[in-house]
Amino acid sequence: MASQTHLNLSPAELAYLHASLSLTPPIRPDGRSPTQYRPLSAETGILPGTNGSARICFADGTEAIVGVKAEVEKTRARWDDETIFLEGQEGDEGAEEDKEKEQGGNREWVELTVEIPGQRDDDSGTIFLAQMLSEALLADGAFVERLKINRGWHWKLYLDILLISPPLSYPLPLLSLTTHLALLSTRLPRLKSEGDEDPFFDDDWAAAPHLYPKDRKARPPVTLLVMAVGNNIIFDPAKEELAVADVALAVSVGDSAERTGKTAEDEDMEVDGRKLRLLSIRTVDPPSRLTPPGVPNATNSAYGHAVAGPQQQKMPEARAVESEAVEGVWKAPRGGAKLAVMGALVQKVLERGGVADEVLDALEAVDLS
Amino acid sequence: MTDRRRINGPAGTTIPPVFEDEDIKHDSKVVKGRSRAPDAVRRMFLKTGVTPSASGSAYLEYESSAKSGVSGLKLSCTVHGPRSLPRSSPFSPHIVLSTHVKYAPFATKQRRSYLRDPSERDLGTHLETALRGAIIADRWPKSGVDIIISVIEGDQDRASSNIQGDETWDMMNVLSGCITVASAALADAGIDCVDTVAGGVAALVQNAGEDSTPTIVVDPIPSEHEKILGACCIAYLPTRDEVTNLWFKGDLSASAMDLYTKLVENGILASTSANRVLVASLNETLA
Repeated sequence: MASQTHLNLSPAELAYLHASLSLTPPIRPDGRSPTQYRPLSAETGILPGTNGSARICFADGTEAIVGVKAEVEKTRARWDDETIFLEGQEGDEGAEEDKEKEQGGNREWVELTVEIPGQRDDDSGTIFLAQMLSEALLADGAFVERLKINRGWHWKLYLDILLISPPLSYPLPLLSLTTHLALLSTRLPRLKSEGDEDPFFDDDWAAAPHLYPKDRKARPPVTLLVMAVGNNIIFDPAKEELAVADVALAVSVGDSAERTGKTAEDEDMEVDGRKLRLLSIRTVDPPSRLTPPGVPNATNSAYGHAVAGPQQQKMPEARAVESEAVEGVWKAPRGGAKLAVMGALVQKVLERGGVADEVLDALEAVDLS
Repeated sequence: MTDRRRINGPAGTTIPPVFEDEDIKHDSKVVKGRSRAPDAVRRMFLKTGVTPSASGSAYLEYESSAKSGVSGLKLSCTVHGPRSLPRSSPFSPHIVLSTHVKYAPFATKQRRSYLRDPSERDLGTHLETALRGAIIADRWPKSGVDIIISVIEGDQDRASSNIQGDETWDMMNVLSGCITVASAALADAGIDCVDTVAGGVAALVQNAGEDSTPTIVVDPIPSEHEKILGACCIAYLPTRDEVTNLWFKGDLSASAMDLYTKLVENGILASTSANRVLVASLNETLA
């Protein structure tokens, strides 16, 4: 969890950070604008032994590599597969064709692992990250559809995500962007066999088509980390910024141009080229809830004020005093977030020409070698 | 990681025979689909103080569905603590929360192992996020509390042979139950909270037959609907009007933001009805 990445900031520093981030416009410690990402360098195709790979290095020194490996696997017959029971009967072609259309991919065809140095692989934070990234990938079912070879066979895709630097900040945006690039660069061997034959592939690697063809609009999802401080919405927070967040959300957006059942609105959007889809939202437990509180002068014995005696401690009024907020003294946020704030965060991510668009554009510009 | 201590049977390598029985098929056709109103949640039973050895405990059970073979979710939660942290652990100015969600091996159609799998750990993380907002953590420095939830029975349709995709949507229902039951157990343990937090689920579903108009229902049972397009689970604090955890999963167009907003509103609706049960149950223990 984000909360486990320990950060040693004093209550005074936290109060200062919180105050500067709640100004309009907010002043971020590294001088970025609220919607600006950290500068990054990216490359793809770095691992020759994989079907697709990518490496991204953020300016703050965090770096991740992702390798995608594919294996051919026999599709397991499913319990609801009518064909099992129809064995021995005359195969009625029409019914089987219908079935084929329905039978989409299975989420077990994708295996995603996240490795973060210094953390156990069964650590809840690491698992949370892995589940979040795979959830976005599997949300619309269109991704596993791509892995189907024929009725008897499919590709099994292994996505291995490695953070190779120590986790200097909450690594979600970095890992998501790297995974996106690796999937864009993933190529699967060209199929030579036809229909339901056992699959047989072209051994010419140059002829291998991309999993996400360049000429089509569909793109893998990206997960954006966005947080709110006061009334400000801040994208891609660094570690210090996350330490004073009121609420942090991980929002996954996809871009799928080819979809059935288009509505009139969707047609309008197509003029612009990109149709964003909301795939998943998760609340990230902000580490701000675990920060130490500051002591206001009014109750500080170092300033000559009487410390509450034992009789005073017992009184219920004395306990109520503790929760009173004093201007400029840091206090860990309590309770949740207002619905309006959460709605604004999601709205800001999805708005046209917004950050999600910008990020997808930038990633498209990366040369896929 | 595999379980090396016990001798386990083969993990899902064979397909058990599922026989088609005419009667059952006929029966399930009759009650196919949702029997409740779209904005009605299932009735639930909540009781606190069921485990005497724990400092707080609660048991939650959902009403069984009208369909045969579908039983309601059954959860049991124990809270141990607040207790002092071991000497080796670093200083914490707040209470250290640890959540543990585990399905009983027999709780779902496919047997679960004794070790927690990623989805169970994931549920634990969601639960922790939901509860951390509710607990007033700075009243217990240097102490820890363990919240342990066992899912005794999940609400899956055992009669139907269709297993596809149910588990992913079931997780939302389980999480909302976990939040409600953990909140009751925390109150039973006497741990200060800003409010009682309760979970609620709303889903955008497409029913069989009607293709065009997806509808929003609260407290969905995946087997009752043809297709679930999206669902969200919300942990809501009613008196503060705040959300401590929001988990949305699905596939919505960015232009359909009003649909998303409606989904969240319905999730809150489900959460407030769960909260009424929670408050009534806590009042009962006081009386």
